[in-house]
Amino acid sequence: MIELKNVTKRYGSLVAVDDVSFSVKKGEYFALLGPNGAGKTTIVKMLLDFTQRTSGSLSINGIPCTNAASRAAVGYLAENYHIPPYLSGWRYLLRCAELLNIKRSDAQEQCRRIVGIIGMQGREHTKAGTYSKGMIQRFGLGAALVGNPKLLILDEPTSGLDPIGIREIRQLLESLKSQGMTIFLNSHLLSEVEKICDNAAIINLGKLLVKDKISTLVKEGDSLEDVFIRYVKG
Amino acid sequence: MSKTFSAIINIVKYTITDEVRQKSFIVMLVVSVIFVFLVRGCYQGNYMVNGHELDAEAIVATVSKVAFHIITIAVMLVTALFSMRVFKRDRDEGMQSCIFSKPITRMQYVVGKISGLWVLSSFFMFLLHAIIFLTVLLRLNIVMPGYLVASAICSFNLLFVVISVLLFSLIMPDIAAFLCVTGIVIVSFAAEWIFAISRYSPVTAHSGSTGWGIIYYLWPKLSGLQNFASLFIAGVDGTQVFAYIYPLINVIICCLILGALLFWRFRNEDII
Repeated sequence: MIELKNVTKRYGSLVAVDDVSFSVKKGEYFALLGPNGAGKTTIVKMLLDFTQRTSGSLSINGIPCTNAASRAAVGYLAENYHIPPYLSGWRYLLRCAELLNIKRSDAQEQCRRIVGIIGMQGREHTKAGTYSKGMIQRFGLGAALVGNPKLLILDEPTSGLDPIGIREIRQLLESLKSQGMTIFLNSHLLSEVEKICDNAAIINLGKLLVKDKISTLVKEGDSLEDVFIRYVKG
Repeated sequence: MSKTFSAIINIVKYTITDEVRQKSFIVMLVVSVIFVFLVRGCYQGNYMVNGHELDAEAIVATVSKVAFHIITIAVMLVTALFSMRVFKRDRDEGMQSCIFSKPITRMQYVVGKISGLWVLSSFFMFLLHAIIFLTVLLRLNIVMPGYLVASAICSFNLLFVVISVLLFSLIMPDIAAFLCVTGIVIVSFAAEWIFAISRYSPVTAHSGSTGWGIIYYLWPKLSGLQNFASLFIAGVDGTQVFAYIYPLINVIICCLILGALLFWRFRNEDII
């Protein structure tokens, strides 16, 4: 589903991503872990062609990421999500559907369903300017689900959510697993990652340190947090 | 092909609706309409010069032409003002990351943005010109079909302003982009005046291709296009039109060059 081969990204003399290669299979729940500034978001941005790679290749479903068609079945949730303050959550979801060329009637049906999934019934017609950070994050997740994507790229999806919200998002992501969706998750919440994901990769200072099954990485009596700290601190 | 087109149409639609929602846009439109309504007073009453009453048609033609030029210049500045923050607003409000996480190319986005702003600013200008047209029609029963044609021709000036402000806003602060385009407009008008004066001045008439002469021909001929368009207000025959068509060609070529630079620059832009 996702393939990175020898990907490097430099900002002047700073190497943000250094010769990283890995792949994510279809239906896999994959977590990319790393401390702040490790290069996680840069990898996501290169996958979506938000920023150009310096060298290497990235593809989604075999289509190079520089081709817009690679994003045809991708849903994306950014870390600090924003919605234009003058739009309601409902209008925003409809916009996302229109951008995917979904018919008006189908789009409305789909948006109604998504509003239910993200638990925002009753607030969908108020302006986004009145929403809390957590509510915007929920609508962001809703926007990522528009068009029934095959791949969800989530950059800190629980950012700004309260513990109840975090649990709801986790339950939602677990429910999507049964639909065969692939998830690429960037997260600091290691306990959540441990509960949701099958595989994980840890990067630090742009270098890939390890990629394996979480069950293999986390030994008896350990937690993912212990593993993460062990790898990052060397 | 149809998907490409519908993506552009969607972006045009969002550009227009997002812009019209801005309070500053509404205020500018209302103030401009009120200002143009005030011009109708100029068509009332008799004008006397040295005890002779002026011909009504001459007054209509002069006032309408002056109003045409003032409206066109003012709308160019207004267009620069409301185009300068378009990319920044889309970036800050998350619309760029929303759009580019979908299968939409940067080319489609930029074409949609340019088209949306062009349509909106042309409508703005056409509305103001239409008020003058209707004022003359209703008060004096004079039809000036060339007035609206002239307005349509001047929309190429607005296209130039939109493209150049969008390009400059990628490489400098928004207000600097606005000032740069304002500078281009001012130099365009200054070059036109200086060249016109030099043609009739016995000292400079034979000096040939001076610096101003080069600027006159190569600089975006926004003033020239406006003058060319105003020929239609007076009513010209076809042969005259072709003699003065160079400004239109010049502005279209400038739009193409700046448009290509804008696409190239935006292609390398990081989406936040």
